[in-house]
Amino acid sequence: MITLTHFLVVGACLFSTGLYAVLSRRNALLVLVGIELMINAAIVNLVAFGRYDKSLYGGQVFALFAIVLAAAAVAVALAIILNVYKFYKSVNPEDISNLKD
Amino acid sequence: MPAYTLTYPLLAALSAVLLPFAAFLLTAVLGKKAKHGTISIVAISLSLLAAGYAFTQVWGNTPIHIQWHWFTIGRHAFHVGLLLDNMAVLMLVLVCLIALPVHCYSIAYMRGDPGIHRYWAYLSLFCFAMLGLVVADNLLLMYICWELVGFASYLLIGFWYTRDAAVQANKKAFIVNRIGDIGFLLGIAILHSSFGTLDIQALFGPQGLLTAPMGADTPAIAAEGTITSGWLTVAGLAFFLGTMAKSAQFPLHVWLPDAMEGPTSVSSLIHAATMVAAGVFLLARVFPIFDDTTLLVITTTGTVTAFAAAYFALAQYDIKKILAFSTISQLGFMMVGIGIGMYHVALFHLVTHAFFKCLLFLSAGAIIHGMQHAKEKHQLDIDPQDIRHMGGLRRHMPLTFTTMLIASLALAGFPFTAGYLSKDALLVHAFEWAALHGEAAIAIPLVLVIVSILTSFYIFRLLAKVFFARPSVLANNDIHIHEASRWMLAPMAFLAFCSLFPIFTFHPLNDGQVWLLHGLVAEAPTLPPLRPLHILVPALATAATLVMATLAWRWYVNGHYPIRTKGVLYRLSERQGYLNELYDAIIVRPLLKLSLLLLWIDHHVVDGAINGMATAGRSLAGIAAWIDYHLVDGLIRLVGNLAWGAGHVLRRSQTGRVQQYVALVFFIVLVILLYHIFAQA
Repeated sequence: MITLTHFLVVGACLFSTGLYAVLSRRNALLVLVGIELMINAAIVNLVAFGRYDKSLYGGQVFALFAIVLAAAAVAVALAIILNVYKFYKSVNPEDISNLKD
Repeated sequence: MPAYTLTYPLLAALSAVLLPFAAFLLTAVLGKKAKHGTISIVAISLSLLAAGYAFTQVWGNTPIHIQWHWFTIGRHAFHVGLLLDNMAVLMLVLVCLIALPVHCYSIAYMRGDPGIHRYWAYLSLFCFAMLGLVVADNLLLMYICWELVGFASYLLIGFWYTRDAAVQANKKAFIVNRIGDIGFLLGIAILHSSFGTLDIQALFGPQGLLTAPMGADTPAIAAEGTITSGWLTVAGLAFFLGTMAKSAQFPLHVWLPDAMEGPTSVSSLIHAATMVAAGVFLLARVFPIFDDTTLLVITTTGTVTAFAAAYFALAQYDIKKILAFSTISQLGFMMVGIGIGMYHVALFHLVTHAFFKCLLFLSAGAIIHGMQHAKEKHQLDIDPQDIRHMGGLRRHMPLTFTTMLIASLALAGFPFTAGYLSKDALLVHAFEWAALHGEAAIAIPLVLVIVSILTSFYIFRLLAKVFFARPSVLANNDIHIHEASRWMLAPMAFLAFCSLFPIFTFHPLNDGQVWLLHGLVAEAPTLPPLRPLHILVPALATAATLVMATLAWRWYVNGHYPIRTKGVLYRLSERQGYLNELYDAIIVRPLLKLSLLLLWIDHHVVDGAINGMATAGRSLAGIAAWIDYHLVDGLIRLVGNLAWGAGHVLRRSQTGRVQQYVALVFFIVLVILLYHIFAQA
């Protein structure tokens, strides 16, 4: 029997993986991938909790909405990364430290 | 009633007064270009003509009075104007008549002086002030002119202002005269507060407010105001105090001998003939104010002055100082004349004295001039005014000797001179007055007789030492003292003529025939005459003069000198009665000490208080500055430092690495979550 807890564990694993990727990757593209993983962890959670809203399927609808949002975010993020690369000739987040005081 | 239209005599008198003033202004404006003095001489000559015209028109006629409105204070309107009566025109002519020869004399005497342009300006200023004084119709205007003559005298005494003695002398004259001026001002104030007017004719005229007959001790009753007999005495004494300083009466005479520091021509005009006689003129003007007490004070002061000054003159060595004391002594005679009520005789003596004393000074100036030249020519180390260095000058300066002899005889009261007429008249009247005033009063004429004898002695001593005695310094080498120049001799000759009897009377031995006295006598009270005295007194005086002349000849020419120069009486005379030392000890030095004390107080107390306040302010400001710096600013700086420190610590978190930021955010979110979880649990 697959229960809600399984879903949540999978989501948490996904989120942790994504978080790890975001915090540790030396490549901005892989950081972006990590972000996508975290978004998807959230979506898994939404879908899982959507079971309890049988009349309106609010969870599923919201999952769809989040997927679209993620796609848009990726588009924007990719554009930023592309520009960053043009400027710094690197996509390593450690090299981009202009915000340092 | 005062007139309001200018008639010719008034116009003449006015121009006589204003011409020297114009000369003063012109000379002052021209400055160093006006060295020759033509302006002043022309002005005084025209003044003399104008004054002479005014004299012929007014003398013996009714007085002319003109008035203009001057200013108003409250309800009191003050007027300014001219009053030409016999007394005023007489003085007007006299002043011009003395001033013109002195001006001419000054051309030669002052030639080559670097400050001569100032000299002419001051001389004209003096003439203006003196002429204004005699024609003033009210006491206020008179007072202004009185101060102006004093000021001109001050300027001229200190004419050689680089000499310390001259500066000290003019300071002394100024200060002593201030004492008298206070008296004059007080007198004016008392009269004005009592009567509300200062007009001389309204106060002292024949129908004036103050017509106190001779000898009356009743308070004068006036239409517009009254004055109690006490205040009347005070006012009289106040006026007399004014004249005591100006006319050098004992004990305020000390300035006059020192005033001889001025040029000799100035001494002759101001300090012998005119200004010092202004006091006598003032007393004659305000004569009705004097009651018996005041008159007695005046008589006594005059007698004491006459005696003291004659005594001090005996042992002086400075030729000008002898003449100065002689002037003081003769002014004492005039005061006695006022005091015994015979002010017309006093004025007559003023006139004759003006001529012969001016001549004495001018002759002395000629001698000093000659001595000075000899001193410069032969490099002698002598004081040109010291009679011990003269002697035998009769052969060198015969004309000066002649004029000086005439003037000296006039001073001694020898017959055929003007001095004989006036001085013996004064003596006779003094006896007549004493006869009316009891036993003790006889002392006054007796003292005057002694003074008269002393006068003969000191003036013949002067003549003997200067002209006859064996030459002291001059004998050693072939020094020739030259006779004075023509510009000096002509004025002297003129004054010598005026010192003789013919211009006053045709009868050389009888003062009753003097036209001048007849002009004034209508206004003046007379004393009951004692006929025998009119012969006895002059005869005795003349005899005494002859004895004194012989005595002086024996002592100083023949060398039988009997007096110890170390004696007390001798030194008392030589040191002028130690009056200067006395004043120095009781007035000047305490005053200086007081001033020093005040200076100390000023420095240490007043300035100390101010400085203390300043120091306190500074300390307070220092404390405030410390508080400001350390507390107020400190607080602000603390805030700043705190912010800076916090920023400094926190800036380390700003690594610029996105992933670290994200990790931090995650960590914070995690903490919050955990907090919520545990908080709910």
